Amino acid sequence: MDSLRTLWPYLKMHQRQYVIGMVLVIFANSINLLPFYFIRLVIDGLTGARDGNPGTPGITLGQAGWYALGIVAAAAAAGVLMLYMRRLIVVASRQTEYEIRRDIFAHLQGLDKPYYDRASTGDLMNRLTGDLSAVRETLGFGAWQIVNIVSGFLTSFAVMFSLSWQLTLIVLAVVPIIVGVLTYLARLINVRHRLAQEQSSKIAGKAQENFSGARVVKGYAIEDREISEYRAMNLELLRRNIALTKVDGPLRSFMSLLLGLAFALILLVGGRLILNSNGAFTVGMFVQFVGTLERLTFPMLMIGWITGVTQRGLASWLRLRELYDARAQVQDVPGRTDTSVRVLDGDLRFENVSMDYGSREVLRNIDLHVPAGTFLGITGPTGSGKTVLGQLITRSMDPSSGVVRMDGHDLHVIPLKALHDAVAVVPQEPFLFGDSIANNIAFGVEKQELPVVKTGVSVVGAPLPPNIPQMPDPERVRNAARLAGLLEDIEGFPEGFETLLGERGVTLSGGQRQRTAIARAIVREPAILILDDSLSAVDTETERKILDGLREVSAGRTVILIAHRVSTLRHADKIVVLEEGRVTEQGSHDELLELNGHYAELERLQRLASDLDEDDDAISDPEEAANRLAARREAIRDAQATQTQTRQEVLK
Amino acid sequence: MTAPDDSYKKEFDAQLTRRVLRYVQPYLRLVIGGILLALLISLASPVFALIQRHAIDSFLTPLALQRAGNLDALYRGLTFTALLYAGLKVLQFGLQYAFALAIGYLGQNVLRDIRADVFSKLQRLQLAYFDQNPVGRLITRVTSDVDAINQFITNGLVSLIQSTFIIVVYVVIMLSVNWRLALISFTVLPVLYFSTNFFRTKLRDAFRDTRTQQATVNSKLNENITGMLTVQLFGRERRSALDFDHSNRALLTANENSVHWFSLFMPVVAVLGQVAVALILYFASRQILGVSVDADGALQTGVVAGAITVGTLFAFIQLSQQLFQPIQDLADVFNTLQAAMASSERIFGVLDTEEEIADKPDAKTLPNFEGQVDFEQVWFSYDQTVTAETPDSDSRWILRGIDLHIQPGESVALVGATGAGKTSVTALVSRFYDVQRGAVKVDGVNVRDLAQHDLRKHVGVVLQDVFLFAGTIESNLTLNNAEIPHERVVEACKYVGVHDYILSLDHGYQTEVRERGATLSTGQKQLLAFARALIQNPDILLVLDEATANVDTETELRIQQALVKVMYGRTSIIIAHRLSTIEHCDRIVVMRKGLVVEQGSHRELLEHGGYYARLHRLQYSQADAAD
Repeated sequence: MDSLRTLWPYLKMHQRQYVIGMVLVIFANSINLLPFYFIRLVIDGLTGARDGNPGTPGITLGQAGWYALGIVAAAAAAGVLMLYMRRLIVVASRQTEYEIRRDIFAHLQGLDKPYYDRASTGDLMNRLTGDLSAVRETLGFGAWQIVNIVSGFLTSFAVMFSLSWQLTLIVLAVVPIIVGVLTYLARLINVRHRLAQEQSSKIAGKAQENFSGARVVKGYAIEDREISEYRAMNLELLRRNIALTKVDGPLRSFMSLLLGLAFALILLVGGRLILNSNGAFTVGMFVQFVGTLERLTFPMLMIGWITGVTQRGLASWLRLRELYDARAQVQDVPGRTDTSVRVLDGDLRFENVSMDYGSREVLRNIDLHVPAGTFLGITGPTGSGKTVLGQLITRSMDPSSGVVRMDGHDLHVIPLKALHDAVAVVPQEPFLFGDSIANNIAFGVEKQELPVVKTGVSVVGAPLPPNIPQMPDPERVRNAARLAGLLEDIEGFPEGFETLLGERGVTLSGGQRQRTAIARAIVREPAILILDDSLSAVDTETERKILDGLREVSAGRTVILIAHRVSTLRHADKIVVLEEGRVTEQGSHDELLELNGHYAELERLQRLASDLDEDDDAISDPEEAANRLAARREAIRDAQATQTQTRQEVLK
Repeated sequence: MTAPDDSYKKEFDAQLTRRVLRYVQPYLRLVIGGILLALLISLASPVFALIQRHAIDSFLTPLALQRAGNLDALYRGLTFTALLYAGLKVLQFGLQYAFALAIGYLGQNVLRDIRADVFSKLQRLQLAYFDQNPVGRLITRVTSDVDAINQFITNGLVSLIQSTFIIVVYVVIMLSVNWRLALISFTVLPVLYFSTNFFRTKLRDAFRDTRTQQATVNSKLNENITGMLTVQLFGRERRSALDFDHSNRALLTANENSVHWFSLFMPVVAVLGQVAVALILYFASRQILGVSVDADGALQTGVVAGAITVGTLFAFIQLSQQLFQPIQDLADVFNTLQAAMASSERIFGVLDTEEEIADKPDAKTLPNFEGQVDFEQVWFSYDQTVTAETPDSDSRWILRGIDLHIQPGESVALVGATGAGKTSVTALVSRFYDVQRGAVKVDGVNVRDLAQHDLRKHVGVVLQDVFLFAGTIESNLTLNNAEIPHERVVEACKYVGVHDYILSLDHGYQTEVRERGATLSTGQKQLLAFARALIQNPDILLVLDEATANVDTETELRIQQALVKVMYGRTSIIIAHRLSTIEHCDRIVVMRKGLVVEQGSHRELLEHGGYYARLHRLQYSQADAAD
């Protein structure tokens, strides 16, 4: 069993709990047989068979009292054992669940962008919730139930055999039938349960989609169609649930029927045994036999169920293993990574860098030197490779060919931690966390080294995780917010910096999100700051403020600013124009204007647009203008090509 | 993950209960049948213990043989009893099966009806309701809240009735068999009731805590997975790991706490059961032996003629154990009922929501739809607290007295800055919202007087963000209207130029669209939206033409061409940013700050020399640049 082998390290951590717990189950099962023994003694005593005179009671009241106490004592003892068993095994399974979750979380933290581009969050979540609980159920409930079933059967049969081998033979003949029928039913229930669950999530999915798409539903007036579709799914759910009820609802009464039939059979045979045995088989023994058999009801019910649980658990564990087995492409490699590289200045060099996505070429032979402290602007139409260029700097991915160097080191040899410490990114669509604004801004600032959460160790006896130190001084956060032009917005919120973001708090506008991300990046005081089209959703006034703020912090830092607006780019030390993965123009604002290429056209266009809109908010969409420009240039090129061709043909 | 609703428990509310019961009414036969079955089951259940008593006393005790003196008679009696027992067991099973089915049908049907009612109600609610309520919360209404009501009926009311029946029958029978022994065995029951109640409450709280912690862990997991790259870029791994570990630990503690209570609960119930057995055993022995002591020497009266027999003893042990389940159920019933109260209240809250945009009783339909649109002095705000009396100067007005008249078949381009009110104009034509002042008319009829459904059938909307439903490409284009033939779908797709792309997919038109069309590019989605609009063939077309930032130039051209084709021959209102699109329109309406500031044909506006003229100059300057 491969899945058991890989699970073993986790089991081993709680070996003691599992083993002792299972021993307790066995003891509890044995002790649980005592009450019916005492009942038998009392009944046989009362039926007075001791002195051969059927009328003489074979028991005194005192004895009966002791037996009654014995029953309570046995039940109490078994109860205490089961209590400790649960606290050992079930708790162990919960602890294992915690450990697996902790370890997978740590592992996921090491995986890279290529992995997350492929993986779906929903799938990962399913594995970490559904599959993890299936594994836990197998360990917690499955483990002791299997022992319980086996030891329950063994002890009960031993007792029954000692009471009457004839009746035991009957039971032996009947029990497999009962277990067989129940196992079949359990499988049926499992299947129908799954079908009902599937339909249930389908119908929830339908509702989700309908509510999210309310605009389309209403816009096209398809409410009635939606309702009738929903009703059809609803009816199907009803059918599946009823089908489940048909096998699931009467399970208990079915069990009681089977046992009742068994009892009738035992009464028939056992009655004759009593009548024929001349006291060797008594009514007390009969009662004990029946009682002992009844104790097996639950284990019999469980057999079919437990096989399902175990199968599910093992299959789920395999799916969890896949997460452990995932490897990052971008990671530190011992031997290659130069751990002596700690602090970086931000001198960047692209040497003949190309990047392919499958067959698509995103960057082609980029050669670019960005000395430390340079304010570099990058522009170009959508899909020209600007974002990818930025992502190569943070090693979100590695180039297909060529080398990216920072301070002369190939990025491959720089420890990822040192690289990430040196670079701060403001992505196009920033991801903010469901936390306070202050904590979101201070997101990447760590004053002290935090301890690593240890993986692969047992949680038993492990100290509680240390309290997380509070984020750095509010002054720094405040300053960053001011520089990012966010301060006024934050002060407008009733709870200021403590305002929660996301579902349980406020929803920020696109521009506010971008500015929060800018504050988050500059508060780190990085050697290299990358802003990937991070000012697209703010108006020109705010943009000017942010740019002033940026200049304030960017002294001595390398800033890479990807943008479409000339107003954003104009003060850059150097501007690079990317088109179709190539650098087509580079130079200062004035140089590029003189070049009279893409950038110059962009500038003219936007100047006119801003004249037009000066009393309105802003240019409606600078990116669109840039794209339009690109399209036009292409048309011009084509036209020129045709012209040249025609001219040549004419000349010929 | 949906956030759990704050209130989970509410005091019992008779009015809410009556409303829930109204859902049961259509299934009155099932209810009556169920109650009768419950009664029969209650009456049948104690019979088995009584048969066992009879069997022991009549055939199995040593005295039986002496009394009967005839083995064959005993054998016959024994066989008869065993057969009777088996037969009654089959009967009991039949009753219980029928009961389970009746309750299953009842519960599932009620569940289905409530679910359908809530869903249908939500379909009728105005768009503003969806703007205000997060999708997650609405889903809870049709899933877990409805389930809670099912619990209310099947676990709450039904087990209340069933348990009461069983308890009454058992008490009566036990008392009539031997009232002294009965009273003694009943002594355990109050203890059982209260300890069950105690533990269930503790467990409920513990489980609730577990669920809350689990939700925290899940949302942190979700957030960390979604934002993992950000975490890595900012070197936050350790802090995130620590933070997660805190939540993970808290969940572990909550789970351990649940196990703590559960591990106590089970043994306590088991021990109580055995205490009942011990009490019966002891006091039955005392009665039996006591009689024999009193009649010292007259031994035969001791055991046989006493008030109690061994069979009775055994039967009492069985009966007392069988009373445990109903007592435990009863102890939990009120918790279940209370838990369902909060859910019912939320569900009825949805059902009682006023339909702000509702059809008038005499709502008209327009059989011969022309497509004329008129805005007459329209004042509008999304803020529902804004009324017709709100002063003109209020900043919440989005539209401030719009007059706009569009002839059938005319195409109009809305031009203006963000926030000028262009989107609102389109939303009002479909009557997604009602205006505060003035009137929006279609074919000369106020949209308030039209049947919404009929109106919207004639109005097609192409949204900025194309919403794709789970299903195939084709079902997304036809919007699941089975009457639309495949040929028409293909024709439309060819027309807008997306046919070849669709065919290049693995399963062509039958390709499954996943997760809101994650596999499709923005441009392709836009083209599909045009195809969808064409296939639905509306008389009035509304296009929100803004989301073209992320498409390549070739697709962009294709989109423009498709748009022109789709506009042809129908009343079209386009929110346009591209001048090339605008030039294709019959009329241009320039909006600023909720007002129409200029309108006219391309030429007129150019001559007028206003905002549009300047916009157009920009376009020319591009052309200049190209020379």
